[in-house]
Amino acid sequence: MFEIIFQIENGEPISVSANQGDNLLEVARSSNVAIDAPCSGNASCGKCRVKLLEGDLDSLQTAHISQEDYDAGWRLSCCSKVTGNATVLVPDIAFAYQQRMKTADLSTGEEVAIFEELQAEIKNTGISFCNEFTTVDVQLSEPTLDDTMPDNERLEQELLKMTGADRCKISLPAMQNLAAALRNSSFHVRVMGEQKEDSFLVYAISPAADQTPLCAIAIDIGTTTVSAVLTDLETGRLLSKASAGNGQIRYGADVINRIVEQTKPGGRKRLQKAILDETLFPLIQLLCKTAKVAPDHVMRVVLSSNTTMNHLLLGVDAGPVRMEPYIPSFFHYNDLYAAHLSLPVHPWARVFLAPNVGSYVGGDITAGAFASLIWNKEEFSLFIDLGTNGEIVFGNNEFLMCCACSAGPAFEGGDISCGMRATDGAIEAVTIDKETMEPVLTVIGKQKPVGLCGSGIIDVIAELYRTSILGANGKFTREGRRIAWDRHGMGRYILAFASESETGREIAITEVDIDSFIRAKGAIFSAVDTMLAALEFETDMIDHVYVAGGIGSGINIKNAVRIGMFPDVELEKFSYIGNSSLSGAYAMALSDEARQKAAEVADSMTYMELSTHPGYMDRFVAACFLPHTDAGRFPSSFQE
Amino acid sequence: MPFEPKTQVFNSKINTIVLGTGDKAVQIGGNNVLPFYSFDAPIENAPKVGVEITDEALEEYVQPKLKAFYDGCNTLPEMAARAQDIQGVSFLALHLKGADPNGRNRSVDECVALAESIAGAIELPLVIMGCKDIEKDAELFTKISEKLSGKNILVLSAREENYKTVGASAALAYGQKVGAESAVDINLAKQLNTVMTQMGVNPASIVMQAGSAAAGYGFEYLASTLERIKLAALGQGDAQLQMPIMTPVSPETWGVKESIMPEAEMPEWGDAEERGIEMEIATASACLAGGSDAVIMRHPDAIQAIVRMIDELV
Repeated sequence: MFEIIFQIENGEPISVSANQGDNLLEVARSSNVAIDAPCSGNASCGKCRVKLLEGDLDSLQTAHISQEDYDAGWRLSCCSKVTGNATVLVPDIAFAYQQRMKTADLSTGEEVAIFEELQAEIKNTGISFCNEFTTVDVQLSEPTLDDTMPDNERLEQELLKMTGADRCKISLPAMQNLAAALRNSSFHVRVMGEQKEDSFLVYAISPAADQTPLCAIAIDIGTTTVSAVLTDLETGRLLSKASAGNGQIRYGADVINRIVEQTKPGGRKRLQKAILDETLFPLIQLLCKTAKVAPDHVMRVVLSSNTTMNHLLLGVDAGPVRMEPYIPSFFHYNDLYAAHLSLPVHPWARVFLAPNVGSYVGGDITAGAFASLIWNKEEFSLFIDLGTNGEIVFGNNEFLMCCACSAGPAFEGGDISCGMRATDGAIEAVTIDKETMEPVLTVIGKQKPVGLCGSGIIDVIAELYRTSILGANGKFTREGRRIAWDRHGMGRYILAFASESETGREIAITEVDIDSFIRAKGAIFSAVDTMLAALEFETDMIDHVYVAGGIGSGINIKNAVRIGMFPDVELEKFSYIGNSSLSGAYAMALSDEARQKAAEVADSMTYMELSTHPGYMDRFVAACFLPHTDAGRFPSSFQE
Repeated sequence: MPFEPKTQVFNSKINTIVLGTGDKAVQIGGNNVLPFYSFDAPIENAPKVGVEITDEALEEYVQPKLKAFYDGCNTLPEMAARAQDIQGVSFLALHLKGADPNGRNRSVDECVALAESIAGAIELPLVIMGCKDIEKDAELFTKISEKLSGKNILVLSAREENYKTVGASAALAYGQKVGAESAVDINLAKQLNTVMTQMGVNPASIVMQAGSAAAGYGFEYLASTLERIKLAALGQGDAQLQMPIMTPVSPETWGVKESIMPEAEMPEWGDAEERGIEMEIATASACLAGGSDAVIMRHPDAIQAIVRMIDELV
């Protein structure tokens, strides 16, 4: 037994014991030391760097670690084995991603505006934002030695009289609190409940003077990020919002790696704990605290997530999701209460899951497609949700077809050597001068650059291609001070020299990075292409394109078209609709009709499995080129 | 009602590539019609057959009839001179398989000298086939192109990994023709043609090598790829796919068990050399029917059969 000390930059050291030969990344995971490992320990992303301060490790020096860095003690934790006592430094930049994540979580005015516009449009379709929650002001006669009716009957009798209901139920938490609530307020109380047809269910009782609202929480559980809002059930006002990294991220960046992890012994429990205890519980507590709302005033929760995420959340085996014929345990699951998951809200609160459509088109897409209103338009719309998985829905008020493709972690900065999520220090936009080949960078947080996020990568590649620095196959064709070659002949474009970056390390995009990204965009475009071809639709028949996802409002659509990621249609047909999954979940929390409509949308979507589609691979290879092997399909993409 | 044939006329045309110089120069490609569809339009330029001499031919060409054909030849240039007498062959392909670093690892200098001596011994245009090692091929093609500049040879071929070096040296610096090899995929074939022309190589200097296979060994992928390329080039007028296609046949067919299993071990299969010849004929004829504008073959008997087939169909 050896002792490994994880010296966390800007944090408390964590000491754990480990055996000879243990993998350092696994040791870190088992002791809850979060190391960014989007590739789940395959030595392919190079993100899990740690610095050996004391002792020894048996480490492989991969292409991700230069000799200079290796000599300085930098190691990839996934390629390091324990050989004795050791102290390693876990860099802040890897550890703090969870706290610093920036996502489409309504944290900016722009995002809130997009969100509110979407809600207004949903209301315009005639969907009523009504629910059955209500409060009743009740004055009861106080019991005496002669009036010995128990508290509950006293309350029920009065409620039936006041609400016109035939039956009345009191939830256990309300019952537990009943005696004190009545007696502390001289039997004048505010009853919070839900009146469904003839029955009234009491959730909570508070003094009559209590004004705090009845609330609902809507949460979008993404593979990478989780964002949530707390809203007033009566007015629909947003009372608080919050976001966090998905705690499961340490078990792999994409759903496949998570599923692999959950099949290991104890894996399902570990992943469920990571999303509940580490992610949702603190997030909900934060929402309530910020809004100054007691947890038991939260009486409804709507969760919107992909199929794998909602299976793992419930502790349901997600194994079959990844095996042919790709059948999940459920599409709809409506019998869930907060108590089942120990969510820190009212234990009797119903928890609704946005329904799934297939193994790789989940509730988040149902909620997103619902919020985009493509089901209510005569015109043909394309809905694209960009994330670790790309999901695509196409159709109108008569039919909806959907499919999913694996884009990999490239859009979020995984698999890209200098990639990072869209946090402070991320380069989010780039322009390049054709003559000098010098870049102009826009960095989040107005600081020195640390790395490149998804929208920045799209910009760099589009600009490199426009300026003919990059050929159509993603290989460099020009020389200059910004272009460098390694000993294997792999080229890179230097966005920031070591002296210009926050970390003191050069920020560059390599041909391998570009290749990964071209595959990701190729996956998205070929999915769109295959689906449209299956429906015998031409690109110019698309009337609207809705782009959703955490890639951010910073995405430059023109550049995305230039590299062949989206079909080449008029720019004004594109709309960025932000986190549509959260928007849909919010509407579903407030409106019973929206929830019903979303379920109908889910049931009306036809799911197309691309992995078994004969033409998909061919279209994918054709799309893995800038902008496309058939350049005629992208008339607005050209080199200057 | 009398039968009225409808002809399919294409407005596009496969590029014409000239190999070699002088009287014996040969044109490849140039048609605006599907292979052997002479009922649609006249076939202006018949498909061509080249003969393969490997740098190991002295030891390798052991089949009795093949050996008899080259009887008396003690050197590769002598064999090459003999090969060009086979009726109907239009070019000679020197296959430098022995340059492979994992094989005999013949040096670049040795290969250049061999190519030069063969070029000196023949009048037909010369095609240089590499050893499939990316780096070695790039070096070989560069040095041989330099040595034989002015001879208008074809190097077969540049691939995704080395097209920059091969394209820049063979085509741009020394004015030779260059093959663009891709792995049985129409999109990859087009992508390679696109990046090579983007770097400045004249489309009229590019010959496609869109993959190769022996009949029965995944050949249907090759056949459909050849056919799709032809249909895109002619039917859709796709300029990036209008390069003529050259397909090496013999290097594939003489490696499969149907061609090499001795008769002693498989008596019911009959004579081994005859089987090899038939494999070569079957594969070459299918390649030509699929869309190859030229094939590279080895056995004189197989070549005779294919030359006769071309004569009769064109």
